[in-house]
Amino acid sequence: MDGEAPRARASWENGSLAPVDRLRTERADSPTPGLVEGTEPGAGQKSAMFVHAQSFEDLNAEVEKDARRDDEVDRSEGEHAEEELKVLVREENIEEPPNSPLESRSKEEDVSSEAWRSHRKHVFVLSEAGKPIYTRYGTEEALSSTVGVMIALVSFVEAEKNIIRSIHADGYKVVFLSKSPLVLVGVYRTCQSDKELLRELQYIYYQIVSLLTLTQLNHIFQHKQNYDLRRLLAGSEYLTDNLLLRLDRDPGLLLSAVTCLPLATSARDVVSSSLQAAKATNLVFSILLAGDQLVTLIRKKDQFLHHIDLHLVFNLVGSSSSFREGEGWTPICLPKFNTAGFFHAHISYLEPASQLCLILVSTDREDFFNMSDCKKRFLERLSKRSAYQALKEALKSPSYSVAQVGIPELRHFLYKSKSSGLYTSPEFPVMYQSDEEQERLMGLYQDLHSCLHHPTRPLSYFYRCGETENLLAWVTSGFELYLCFSPLGTKALAVSAVTKLLKWIRKEEDRLFILTPLTY
Amino acid sequence: MRVDAKVVMLGKESVGKTSLVERYVHHRFLVGPYQNTIGAAFVAKPIQVGEKVVTLGIWDTAGSERYEAMSRIYYRGARAALVCYDLSDSSSFQRARFWVKELQNCEEHCKIYLCGTKSDLIDGDRSLRQIDYHDAQDFAEEIGAQHFETSSKTGKNVDELFQKVAEVYNSTAFQYMTAEETGVDLGQKKDSYFYTCCHNN
Ligand SMILES: Nc1nc2c(ncn2[C@@H]2O[C@H](COP(=O)(O)OP(=O)(O)OP(=O)(O)O)[C@@H](O)[C@H]2O)c(=O)[nH]1
Ligand SMILES: [Mg+2]
Repeated sequence: MDGEAPRARASWENGSLAPVDRLRTERADSPTPGLVEGTEPGAGQKSAMFVHAQSFEDLNAEVEKDARRDDEVDRSEGEHAEEELKVLVREENIEEPPNSPLESRSKEEDVSSEAWRSHRKHVFVLSEAGKPIYTRYGTEEALSSTVGVMIALVSFVEAEKNIIRSIHADGYKVVFLSKSPLVLVGVYRTCQSDKELLRELQYIYYQIVSLLTLTQLNHIFQHKQNYDLRRLLAGSEYLTDNLLLRLDRDPGLLLSAVTCLPLATSARDVVSSSLQAAKATNLVFSILLAGDQLVTLIRKKDQFLHHIDLHLVFNLVGSSSSFREGEGWTPICLPKFNTAGFFHAHISYLEPASQLCLILVSTDREDFFNMSDCKKRFLERLSKRSAYQALKEALKSPSYSVAQVGIPELRHFLYKSKSSGLYTSPEFPVMYQSDEEQERLMGLYQDLHSCLHHPTRPLSYFYRCGETENLLAWVTSGFELYLCFSPLGTKALAVSAVTKLLKWIRKEEDRLFILTPLTY
Repeated sequence: MRVDAKVVMLGKESVGKTSLVERYVHHRFLVGPYQNTIGAAFVAKPIQVGEKVVTLGIWDTAGSERYEAMSRIYYRGARAALVCYDLSDSSSFQRARFWVKELQNCEEHCKIYLCGTKSDLIDGDRSLRQIDYHDAQDFAEEIGAQHFETSSKTGKNVDELFQKVAEVYNSTAFQYMTAEETGVDLGQKKDSYFYTCCHNN
């Protein structure tokens, strides 16, 4: 029934991914910004759910470390992938099908048009041999000359043993991410920092790896340098399209955190323990989602999920109606866990029209009926208790209004508890209801995030007055906070709001966060 | 749910496998943007055959080549395979041939049903037909398969197709019983998950 014992404190400096031990002694009712990691509102009481990392820095550090780490990945998980690969490559050699035209994209657009040029964020994925693999807008075929130029740039610079990172010109930024055997290029008209843009490209890279595994990608391109990867990715473009939309809209991707469905602790505990009881030998993670919110996550002891992997799962489930049809069973690579092999995920909704989606991740591809049985046992337990009713009730109010906090000038906020990797945020108020306004506000948060996490001059505190709103961002060892005030507020008011907000979050933390994550 | 017979849907992407299952299981045809299946989806469906109820465990696989390496786990131990092609797309028939070959090599006890989909399109405009009825019929005979042309949009031939699958299963299951008559209990046989057959295979 219990989580695991506290683990030894591990420091970020030595690159360990194990979660830190918490200083749980003081959970002050009126937390101050000076509190220590592990005591901030929303911090888990036993152990973390996620592979803990200062996430954002971790992600970027990785760009530098590059493939080195990938090579260190434990190979044993990769056996299946190897086997599957053989089939794949064999087929590939014998039978080159008559050029089956790839699914024509609905978003066909003239790539020489002004409209095409004026998109704010272009993303291209290419192979090292210069074959287009993905473009956000228009079709890949139409882009061969553009892609040619990109590859020429990359290889020209690399020939000098340098790496091309970005080009700034004329209001544009061109950012390169070379992740052999893929090259990702972003062309942006935005003031986000290169670091943020690289992070977005990383996500796209992981999206592709999650469909194919890195082992398979490497294998394919070793055997055939100019392989047209679109063949294997056919029908998955919409996953990448959606991920790009999420990167503009979902605070979770910005904060490297996940948000929870607000739910009374008593109900969440029953849901969690019912899910915990429905275990099986090869089951590694059980995840219950309500839309884009986490209800609960149970993991195998000593196995941690990374928030990026969880976001990829959110994206997969949220982008496709395919799992409404029956019980889904699909291979999925969780690249931050292991880029070499596939897990197998049982994905199904609890009821046909329900928002509640259960994802059971197993290591065994033959495990479908075991997983199906786990789901059945979970449902039986759940419906025997009133918790299921409480859960369904909670789905009716998946969010809360900022008015509840009781700070008149406060319009919206994002609060992330660093040690749990969870964040909370109220619904958007009336003036930010439209998509454009939401994206604009997210853009402002992104700017603040860029400033706080500046590669050479990071800030811990930032206040900005604007015509339409005033913003305050604050990062401490325990939390990361972004506040949006009406333009009438003052700085003094903003600062006093922080204390008040922290106090409110502390009061509500049982409902807004998962404080006692369980393991099997 | 207890499953009697494993049935697998195979065929190139977007030929209409999911639509066939939707039509048969939920009696509906979903319009709107096409959603590729990811991996595979499983659904169990009881069906009346004479006095008996046979439960089909239907695996709707994704047509994308990405999942091809996985396909064996979906068709292994299957009693019937519905190999689908789009009547208006000749390349999908090539793909159907590929699946037939694969099944003949790996699953000799699996009955093959060759299924030409989207017949409503052809009825609307004959010039759209790319696979001649008789060519497909000849191929079906050559491989000992049943042949159907269906429309998930209108429902044409869909119930008939699955009914046939269940009937054939039922009669062959009965043959199995009588063949190995040494005290095998019918009820007992029915209780076996096809899951276990996969494992014994
Ligand atoms: N007119 C017509 N369209 C159909 C019929 N069956 C399927 N379609 C359309 O064909 C497209 C693909 O159908 P799906 O059933 O999703 O195809 P699938 O074979 O499951 O595709 P994958 O999951 O990618 O392998 C959809 O847009 C359907 O609406 C049919 O009988 N008539
Ligand atoms: Mg399908």
